[in-house]
Amino acid sequence: MNGRTLPLMLTLPSAVIFIATFVLPFIYFFVISFWVVDYFELTPAATLVNYREMADRYVGVSVFTLWLSTVTALATVIIGFLYAFIARFKLPGFADLMIFVVLITMFGGYLMKIYAWKTILGNEGVLNSALMAVGIITEPVSALLYSPGAVVVTLLHFGLPFAVLPIYASMRGIKDIELEAARDLGATSLEIFTTVIVPRCRAGIVTAFSFAFLITAGDYITPLLVGGKQTLIGNLIAPQFGMQFNWPLGSAMSFVMLAISVATIFVFSRLMARWCRI
Amino acid sequence: MKGVSQIAWMALAVLIVVFLLAPIVLLVMFAFTSRGIANFPIESLSFRWWDEMVNHPQFAISFKNSMIVGLSVGAVSAIVGTMAAIGLIALPRKLASTYMNVLILPIMLPGLVLAVALLSFFVSLGMRLGLWTVIISHVLFTQPFVILIVHARMANFDYRVVESARDLGASPVKAFFTVTLPIIRPIVIGAALIAMALSIDDFIITSFTIGSGNTLPTLVWGMIRTGLTPSVNAIGTLILILTIGSSLIALKLTRYRG
Repeated sequence: MNGRTLPLMLTLPSAVIFIATFVLPFIYFFVISFWVVDYFELTPAATLVNYREMADRYVGVSVFTLWLSTVTALATVIIGFLYAFIARFKLPGFADLMIFVVLITMFGGYLMKIYAWKTILGNEGVLNSALMAVGIITEPVSALLYSPGAVVVTLLHFGLPFAVLPIYASMRGIKDIELEAARDLGATSLEIFTTVIVPRCRAGIVTAFSFAFLITAGDYITPLLVGGKQTLIGNLIAPQFGMQFNWPLGSAMSFVMLAISVATIFVFSRLMARWCRI
Repeated sequence: MKGVSQIAWMALAVLIVVFLLAPIVLLVMFAFTSRGIANFPIESLSFRWWDEMVNHPQFAISFKNSMIVGLSVGAVSAIVGTMAAIGLIALPRKLASTYMNVLILPIMLPGLVLAVALLSFFVSLGMRLGLWTVIISHVLFTQPFVILIVHARMANFDYRVVESARDLGASPVKAFFTVTLPIIRPIVIGAALIAMALSIDDFIITSFTIGSGNTLPTLVWGMIRTGLTPSVNAIGTLILILTIGSSLIALKLTRYRG
């Protein structure tokens, strides 16, 4: 056996799993977006009817999903960046503890986090009852739950660990001596921030944005539990594979959603690249 | 002046930490209170929701299913992912990095898209949905984590010890089991525990690929949808103990810090 055969053999099981449960399912899944459902039977075809239906009926929900995902992703990146920034530069003595908290919450359960926010924001929930007990408000504020804001807060909470970790990892690569060099050359704190720190974190920021965006764009549980009447595109996709039984339409919706996500992430990463070239 | 800004940064950090931890702490707290609704003021402490949880007709089977899936996924992902990580480290750097970026693609995709793609594929192949299809699907999105964790450790692995073993006459297989594996064992176990935690926590992919059975998260989902039953908090706390518990051990074993 030569030098490369053994390493490649070792990766074989992973590659087989990847092809069998990712590549092949996605090829099949893409193909059925051009099929139709005829009398509750999945029927092969070569039609764009599902994409046309998407364009005719679901532009509104797609735009709303794009908007809400962008807001969530930006909020997650900004707060995640702030947290990583404090841990790395402002309170380095607490950095290990701060990152530990993030790692713990990362494993704190997807469904349970959303449910926790439902119990926090509800009419008889933790926040309202606590505020009433203290006497700040006399009647429950019902606008807390079932609003786009509640969806953003919940997904921000879920996505934050996934934003802090890659940004913090990039920040750890910045050496103090680089910052001192910039200062010696006459840069102000703000200049150091915008021309050294942010550009050096570009990869981490783009990863964080991508994660947060995709988490929101593909979510359907959060809008169901804490969102209002306004749903996300995921809430239309999921039923196509259950009650509504229209896989081709669900597939077309999924690929439109993925295309929107990839395009947005691309735009964001170009904007970051432009910022960093100053 | 320095003191004031330091306090401001500290306050901001505390605020974000509270935001991160509060939902989880409240969830656990209300699993031990007597009233039916999660709010203040708390009347008294009680274990009644835990009694109710244990007596739920679906609880035992869901717990068992979660354990079967979690342990199988942990074991399979750890073995397959470790093999891949060891293989990748021996490949030329550029090829390895491209290869790895491809293998970790599944964790970038929204769970819903993975779930419905897998569901339609399994059904089209005529596979019966059940724990098997859940395990296969979970291995897909947990093996990237194992590969990343083990690969990071292998990157600063001292190969001279393996070479010494080979020079002294050990076969490659024997060198692996007597030298390499004992050294990387904590990392592999840590990675297996992370895979297990992710698997036990997963709801979306499980709910689409399990067919008619239940795991703990899908059981919780059924309870949430049919109204606020407070034993949801008890089951949620149980899931948290399982996932955070195993990831804590994993963090200790892998000494992973961001």
